[in-house]
Amino acid sequence: MSTRLSHSAALILKALSLGFCFGFDVMEMTGLPSGTVYPALRRLERDGLVTSHWEPEQESTRNGRPARRYYQVTPEGTSAALAATERYPLLARLLPENQV
Amino acid sequence: MSQLYAGLPSFDAMLLRTLQYAVPVPERDEWLRVWQSEIWHLKHRRTPRPRTTSTLAAGLIRDALWLRTEAWKRALAGTATLCLAILALLCVAFATVALVLTGSHQEVMLQFGNAYRRFLGEAVIVTLVTFATSFRRHVHHASATLPPLRRQLFFILKSALVLQLAFLISADVCQPLHAAFPLAHDILQTLVAMVLSITGLRWGFHDQETRCKHCLTALQSPARIGRPSHNLLEWNGTEQVCRHGHGRLNLPEMETSWCRSGQWLDRRTANHQAA
Repeated sequence: MSTRLSHSAALILKALSLGFCFGFDVMEMTGLPSGTVYPALRRLERDGLVTSHWEPEQESTRNGRPARRYYQVTPEGTSAALAATERYPLLARLLPENQV
Repeated sequence: MSQLYAGLPSFDAMLLRTLQYAVPVPERDEWLRVWQSEIWHLKHRRTPRPRTTSTLAAGLIRDALWLRTEAWKRALAGTATLCLAILALLCVAFATVALVLTGSHQEVMLQFGNAYRRFLGEAVIVTLVTFATSFRRHVHHASATLPPLRRQLFFILKSALVLQLAFLISADVCQPLHAAFPLAHDILQTLVAMVLSITGLRWGFHDQETRCKHCLTALQSPARIGRPSHNLLEWNGTEQVCRHGHGRLNLPEMETSWCRSGQWLDRRTANHQAA
């Protein structure tokens, strides 16, 4: 059974599936406020639609910045994102694939 | 820990220091690391619009509160404490409604004092009848480790709260009739209170049966076991498990002469049977 997502959650999932992997990037891309994005990312992770892992320390040290937490869409998340795109057709227009 | 705040402006460091106490201890270090990183990137990133810490402040606060409420949910979901707390809160809510409807504490005592004394007498009879006619079918196969006193105490408290709630709801629902039709009000309130008490106590029995016999947490993950067509050869029905792994409850869908009741199997018994 596919998970029913809210419009914000669907937008965030869509942004993640387009390759915007960090909380701040998702905020920038979707235009949603931080108070919506971060709790939604937690919920998506709790529901198994996204997973998160830390950027390797070597990479962040090489770039002279702290490591960031990556979010990645799971297969369940991908199918939920597809279902959400069908449910909210405007999503595709808000975050078109060629914007990446 | 102070290393975590290194390189952050003093306001951001203070925000993190303050809000970290809202985050459950096991997740605190991870949360600090995430937000230190997010704030760093906010400060050092070139974006078309200027960004300040206030951009992330709402997210930071809501993230910390989300983690705290999730930890509470995980700890309290289905517990006996939560059940009693919800019933007590409902009692308080309906008592407040009664107070608002009547106008003052004295008026509440005046209008509902006699009805409450009458209800206490009825409640004893209702409880005895419900207890005598309740369909209790679960059999404990192994000795439960939780002292029976705690289970009984929970049941008594739950039943007492359910009865209070039944009375308060009946009082609130029938209150508009009090001034115009006092006699009809009394009869109707008694009937409503009786119906709600019986329904509530039956729910109480059912709830008690579908709780873990060790920790009193509501059993979860119901799964269908067996097939109805195999009923003559093996049992079929629903299996529920304790989320703390104390045991499982097997409820047959159909009563048979050889499988008349549900079975509570604690972990040791279940393991022994499996072996």
